[in-house]
Amino acid sequence: MRGATSAKWVAGAVIVAMAATACSTSKEGDGKAKSGGNITVVLGEPQHGLIGQNTAESEGAEVLNALFTGLVDYDNKTNEPKLAVAESIETQDSKTWTIKLKDGYTFHNGEKVDAQSFVRAWNWGANQDNAAEGLPFFSKIEGSDELAPGKDKKPTATELKGLKVVDEKTFTVTLKAPFSQFKTMLGYNAFYPLPKAFEADPKKFGEAPIGNGPFQMDGAWEHNKQIKVKRFENYAGGKAKLDGVTFKIYDNLDTAYNDLRADTIQIVDKLPTSAMATVSQEFGERYIYKPESGVGYVGLPLSTNPEAFGKVEIRKAISMAIDREALTKTIFNGTRKPADDFINPIIPGYRKGALGEVGTYNPTKAKELWTQAGGVPGNKIELGYNADGGHKEWIEAVANQLKANLGVEVTAKPFAKFGDMLTDLGDKKYKGAFRMAWSMDYPAAENYLRPIFSKVAIDHGSNYGGYVNEEFEKLMDEADKTVDPAASLKLYQQADDIIIRDLPYIPVFTYMSSSAYSKSVKNVEIDAQGRMDLANVELN
Amino acid sequence: MGRYLIRRLIQAIPVLLGATFLIYFLTFALGGDPVQALAGEKKADPLVAAMLREKYHLDDPFLVQYWNYLTGVLQGNLGETLNGRQVLDLITEAFPYTVNLAIVAFAIEALVGVTAGIMAALRRGKFLDQLVLLSTLLVISIPVFVTGFVLQLLLGVELKELGFDFFPVSFNESDGFKAYLLPGFILASTSLAYVTRLTRTSLMETMRADYVRTAVAKGLPRRRVVVNHALRNALIPIVTFLGADLGSLMGGAVITENIFNINGIGGLIAQAIRLDQGTVLVGVVTLLVLVYLLANLIVDLLYAVLDPRIRYA
Repeated sequence: MRGATSAKWVAGAVIVAMAATACSTSKEGDGKAKSGGNITVVLGEPQHGLIGQNTAESEGAEVLNALFTGLVDYDNKTNEPKLAVAESIETQDSKTWTIKLKDGYTFHNGEKVDAQSFVRAWNWGANQDNAAEGLPFFSKIEGSDELAPGKDKKPTATELKGLKVVDEKTFTVTLKAPFSQFKTMLGYNAFYPLPKAFEADPKKFGEAPIGNGPFQMDGAWEHNKQIKVKRFENYAGGKAKLDGVTFKIYDNLDTAYNDLRADTIQIVDKLPTSAMATVSQEFGERYIYKPESGVGYVGLPLSTNPEAFGKVEIRKAISMAIDREALTKTIFNGTRKPADDFINPIIPGYRKGALGEVGTYNPTKAKELWTQAGGVPGNKIELGYNADGGHKEWIEAVANQLKANLGVEVTAKPFAKFGDMLTDLGDKKYKGAFRMAWSMDYPAAENYLRPIFSKVAIDHGSNYGGYVNEEFEKLMDEADKTVDPAASLKLYQQADDIIIRDLPYIPVFTYMSSSAYSKSVKNVEIDAQGRMDLANVELN
Repeated sequence: MGRYLIRRLIQAIPVLLGATFLIYFLTFALGGDPVQALAGEKKADPLVAAMLREKYHLDDPFLVQYWNYLTGVLQGNLGETLNGRQVLDLITEAFPYTVNLAIVAFAIEALVGVTAGIMAALRRGKFLDQLVLLSTLLVISIPVFVTGFVLQLLLGVELKELGFDFFPVSFNESDGFKAYLLPGFILASTSLAYVTRLTRTSLMETMRADYVRTAVAKGLPRRRVVVNHALRNALIPIVTFLGADLGSLMGGAVITENIFNINGIGGLIAQAIRLDQGTVLVGVVTLLVLVYLLANLIVDLLYAVLDPRIRYA
């Protein structure tokens, strides 16, 4: 009886399936191998108007990447900077830089991309009255203090002294101090140009920006719904192959993933955790899995709690008591890799296994170091994390490993939000260890050191531990001044060695990006920032 | 009736004021830092953060902030988010989707629920009754997000592969009414089960009442007995439930909207909580209080229609 019913069902399903294939083949027939076409891709609602200078998060950056082209771009494989709008970027002393622009680049409204369009954009971003998220990126340029004198003060200038337009296609940048990584930094979206039209109404501009990239806006941003862009025909770089792209805005990645499975959308560059177990099976070659720029740490409050974490042996013991291999495999399903350098593996200057002994799981040695150093007061450690970002599991796993290997009592302490933890750390209300993460602004070894471990970063970056080391500062300055890229990188690596020796934070894992695309598209590539390289995508 | 209506509307004013104060106080007491939330996992630049705090008066004392907010509201200004969007715009953008979804869900739950309830009540103990009881129990016991994702996968992905594209995975304006069908059903499902069971019980009880027996004895057709005499009385508790539910449908669809990517009020609330956007939260929740008040008023007025003994003066 039961067999008979299910047989009926199967027969029914087969008929339905046959009918379905019949109609879908006829559909596919007309769309075959033709260039152009439209696709839909995933996006989260950007936090700010679409202005490069005011965008510091990944969703806005994703759209800006399609709409704008900066002076430099990064190679998808090596992450080395390569010239884009710039014809040449030259310097003698790493302090004064001469930037020449290529011919032929125009904004989507036909206006030429000239030296002034960069100067205009940077002056706007550097002015504190605009409260743009990208403001700190201009602090290296001479004259930035006059545009950003601080709260309760008025800017005394509207133009950066360090920017000089030489002619239509040339301008010079004078920095406050030499900075060898300036050219690499220029690919960041805060350095994108802006057309004249921006000045009239920046707020309105942010809803439908006029850029100079391979795609232009197709109507205004429909908040929480979608952003539509279409191919810019007069693009001087490699023209886009698709006619248009719709960024569909999702709140829930699981929904986006189901839409991808139904081929309603074609690319998802951030897969939900629930998909990780089956995605490679389901998407095969259309599943992209590659290292990404993020690093996850366990941070230690050196300055507020030296009694517990002041001794380097204690920090080493903690690091060696963490089984990174097991953690990344079991908790993260391989979506993270064990960290073995403070510099991320995708960055020029990364050295495999640089952490050496301290990055290797060794519970015996860890316990030895721990006991020799006398442990921590009260034999207790707190491990803080923000409860809204899926960190509970790995923090608790680390807590358990420390408990088992060091015999110390560890409590995982949840904070509602990341910001709450930062506030409590800043107010010295919380003195325990904490989870921390960094992902780059631009692919340079320097960007994995200064914003996290320098003196400046205590106020202006992610140095929540309050780590200060003069030797490190000196090496960083030295590297900034060195014009020769190889010599400069070497100095940054030496600075990295000091961080490895001192271990102010304990690097635990680096991130992997996982994306997938549907059958109807090809040539999908994801760059190191986790953005889709949409200009090259084609329909099948 | 008119005076009653006016009295109720006047009563709504202090309730609304109290609600805004309470919600404003709660979001303020919750703490959270909208400036940091905007910057994500990197530390907000101190200068940029200070400029934003100054611009949006985030460092003012609570009562000053509340007063500013209230005077703004009286002038029709519900405030602005940190990224420069008007809260009123956010609400007017989101509300139509929520209303459409609520109407679809409400229609499903009222029509299907009451019909199934009546049928079950009239066939007490029979197969149909058992079936209704069992299926409603099932619906009540499975959480909405499970039903939501399972049906999304089955109907949106698997069925589409078979060529039936009736239930899109996520919401698309161009799909029109079709886009609301599955989310509406999911949203209605739990209430639907309650309405069914409530109708069943209530009608069964009324059917045993003396006046119904009289009506039957008088020789009235069964249809007339059930519809005009029994059901009309039996509907009172159901209308109460449906009225309250309309209020929660308007604002409580956080999960369903999230699963089907409908950018309605539920999504707005979730987003505001995530980004510590107090002003958005106060605006939306106050609106929901208003909706509840109106829904309850309508329910109270409906009582008089259903039961002639109830009169308002």
